[in-house]
Amino acid sequence: MISKGDLAMLQVKQVSKVYEGKLAYRALTDINLTIDTGEFVGIMGPSGSGKTTLLNMIATIDEPTTGEVLINGNNPHRLRKDDLAKFRRNELGFVFQEFNLLHTLTVEENIVLPLTLDGTKVKIMKQKAKQIAEKLGITDIMKKHTYEISGGQAQRAAVARAMIHSPKLLLADEPTGNLDSKSSKDVMGMLESINKNDHTTMMLVTHDPQAASYCDRVVFIRDGKFYSEIHRGDSRQTFFQKIIDTLSLLGGDDHDFPSVRV
Amino acid sequence: MTFRQFAFKNVTRNKRLYAAYFLSSMFTVMVFFTFAIFAYHPALTGDEMDSYVTQGMNISGGIIYVFSFFFILYSMSSFLQSRKKEFGLLIIQGMTIKQIRLMVFLENMLIGFFATVGGILLGLVFAKGILMVAENVLVIENKLNFYIPMEAIILSFVSFIILFFVISLFVSYVLRSKKLTELIRGDKQSKGEPKANIWLTILAVILIGGGYTVALLVRGVGVFIAMLPVIIVVSIGTYLFFTQLSVFIIRQLKKRDTFYWKKTNMILFSDLSFRMKDNARTFFMVAMVSTVAFSAIGTLYGFQTFLTEGIKLVNPNTFTYQADDSKRTEDIDFITSTIKDENMEADQEEMVLRYYPLEDKNVIIAKESDYNRFAELIGDDKIEVGEGNIRVIKFGDEGLLYTMDTDTSEVITLTSGETLKKNETIIESKALPAMYHYYVVSDRDYEKLGDPEDERYFSAWQVTQGKERVIGAAEKITEKVSPYYFTSVDLNVYEINKGYAPIMFVGLFIGIVFFVSAGSFLYFRLYTDLDTDKRKFHAISKMGLTSKELKKVLSRQTAILFFTPLIVALIHGAIALNALANMFNYNLAKESIIVLSVFSGIQIIYYVIVRFFYTKQIKQVL
Ligand SMILES: Nc1ncnc2c1ncn2[C@@H]1O[C@H](COP(=O)(O)OP(=O)(O)O)[C@@H](O)[C@H]1O
Ligand SMILES: [Mg+2]
Repeated sequence: MISKGDLAMLQVKQVSKVYEGKLAYRALTDINLTIDTGEFVGIMGPSGSGKTTLLNMIATIDEPTTGEVLINGNNPHRLRKDDLAKFRRNELGFVFQEFNLLHTLTVEENIVLPLTLDGTKVKIMKQKAKQIAEKLGITDIMKKHTYEISGGQAQRAAVARAMIHSPKLLLADEPTGNLDSKSSKDVMGMLESINKNDHTTMMLVTHDPQAASYCDRVVFIRDGKFYSEIHRGDSRQTFFQKIIDTLSLLGGDDHDFPSVRV
Repeated sequence: MTFRQFAFKNVTRNKRLYAAYFLSSMFTVMVFFTFAIFAYHPALTGDEMDSYVTQGMNISGGIIYVFSFFFILYSMSSFLQSRKKEFGLLIIQGMTIKQIRLMVFLENMLIGFFATVGGILLGLVFAKGILMVAENVLVIENKLNFYIPMEAIILSFVSFIILFFVISLFVSYVLRSKKLTELIRGDKQSKGEPKANIWLTILAVILIGGGYTVALLVRGVGVFIAMLPVIIVVSIGTYLFFTQLSVFIIRQLKKRDTFYWKKTNMILFSDLSFRMKDNARTFFMVAMVSTVAFSAIGTLYGFQTFLTEGIKLVNPNTFTYQADDSKRTEDIDFITSTIKDENMEADQEEMVLRYYPLEDKNVIIAKESDYNRFAELIGDDKIEVGEGNIRVIKFGDEGLLYTMDTDTSEVITLTSGETLKKNETIIESKALPAMYHYYVVSDRDYEKLGDPEDERYFSAWQVTQGKERVIGAAEKITEKVSPYYFTSVDLNVYEINKGYAPIMFVGLFIGIVFFVSAGSFLYFRLYTDLDTDKRKFHAISKMGLTSKELKKVLSRQTAILFFTPLIVALIHGAIALNALANMFNYNLAKESIIVLSVFSGIQIIYYVIVRFFYTKQIKQVL
């Protein structure tokens, strides 16, 4: 019999985060979260509620003050710094709000960058880049520089870069934050299809209900604490409505949430 | 808040941003001021120094001033470059270009004023130390006491206030009103990747290659004639090398995926190709300035050794005395007693040199026993000359003026009618004082040589103990004995060094100033890219970049910045020194290698320091 723990790709156990400084600030309090293999989970909450903090903790960019994070049963925070860097680029994939593409590189070069660091053979890199470009529909911009493409294209390139080494866990922080609604839908649709076809586990931080409605499950946090979670049924439309309702209960920074567009 | 207050606050609040610019301005003032302290020193401006030295000081001061001008101009414009974005934001807020100009002008005057005052104060702090160094380098007898350098303070203050005024006015005036979008994007490189023009690339190779070939081939006065054209051609070639050839080479490297897509190469070279146009100008300036520094110091140093080594080479003995008049016993006695008085011990040999007219000139012929005594004195091997033989001894290397007469057929006829033949093997020894070569015959044959054309008394001393008092003794001796007859190598070398020291000191000073400012150019270049680099490495590190990989990329990036222009300058410098060596017909290899290695060493230290701080800065944001 398979217990739930064996299926878990990510386990966040009793994680708290206090930012030290002149004024110590408690950004997260006792967060527990389990994401199963192949699951697509959204994290929502008002601005400043600790979403990015949580994601950074999981992304190993930052360390929790107490509690532990297990990815695939291992605690990456126990790794030495350099092994951590390698772990990050082999096991995890990242997509950020501000794309983080290098403007001195072409789209294709940006996409293969994580592989070059690992010393993958050029032939294999070319192959993989071609495959992923076809899958994500960005073949015709591969030779362009990043300042020659639109935001939506840039974010798709960033997703391609995050996916090129087939990571076990894809982490996205407001990937649609800088995009118009059309591009948002494209990118979210793409993430959803990667999740369904490749069974890549995904965690998406967003405050856009439209984007969140592509997830299997949405977890809400407020003031750094778990608030509630809702599961998606069959229809995305109803799920979207449920998310809107929860958000209005959640309150917080109003202008943080876009007016309802259906 | 008035506008002036705003400009003032802008400076005081952005301390970090302004620090690099301020420090390099202050450094420049300090250099000039220190030089002025030195140049105006009472001990040097009195009748102690010849007027040509004063003249030299004035010219050198002028060079430093002109150089400071361009250096500060450059620093200021690269400082303004890094603030494009800020200007963009100010314009959006509704600031007019006129107001921005006024702000830039006020800011620069403010920085300039404090840099001038700071530089002078800092100079005063170091003045004592620098005067002490100068004292040692200069071989000056009277001490360079510390003094309150009023003249130097006034001169530096006025000169630099004027300088900053002119530059601030100029910079704020030419501050172009770039497109707003461009200003706001700031350093975002939307300019695209620079491309190389194939014809200019080829021209670069031809110009440098041609210049080098000419520089290596010309001899003697040809060097002097070819100098200016070669310098111009190579300078243009160097500029094209950095702007075109380097871009071309990087592009070729980038085309090779097996190289470009390997490990961290992509991060390194993509940036390099984008920055090459900006780097090119810095590289060019650094390379040229360093070349000037190398060549100037190399030449001065080489010329000094050329003079002193020449004297040391032809004088293997501590003291020598040569005379043909009757005063000599008195002179010799005085020399011997002085040696004794100074508590020194010396081996002495004396003989009479006989000159015979041979080969159209008077040549010394000595007997075997005399030669052997003098050879032993300087540590050369004794020889044995069989009867009927002549040993040909050459005094030194053949040179431009003299080639050894290898004709051994000539014979010397003795009074007895017998003839002497030259021995084929020629040996080299400086035992006897000849211009080119001299002959040694057996003691028996010597008696039958007949009357010489000329005779001179010759005595040589080799001091064995109390060597450190040689110069003092020699000075005493020369007070009585004419330097026309008496020679002391050490005293001669000491006097040359003394006369040469001010030139050497000024040369070194200027060379070091040039070299240090070359380093500052590089620092500025790096500093301008710091923010872009921080952002870039922040992005990459999220993807997973080990600290080893980061260090490697940064090391190589900094190394390319520091050593590309240095290597070019080293090659230029080596070629230039080689050409100068050809002009003097004197081998400067040793001096060149010393000068070039010292500079390389300093650059390596500088590189290690800058890399350390740069890496630290970048790591802060990860
Ligand atoms: N490095 C930091 N140092 C101190 N406080 C921080 C830091 N990063 C975030 N915070 C604070 O923690 C809280 C949560 O931030 P964050 O996780 O970025 O929120 P969001 O949900 O908008 O992504 C905020 O109040 C923020 O001010
Ligand atoms: Mg956030």
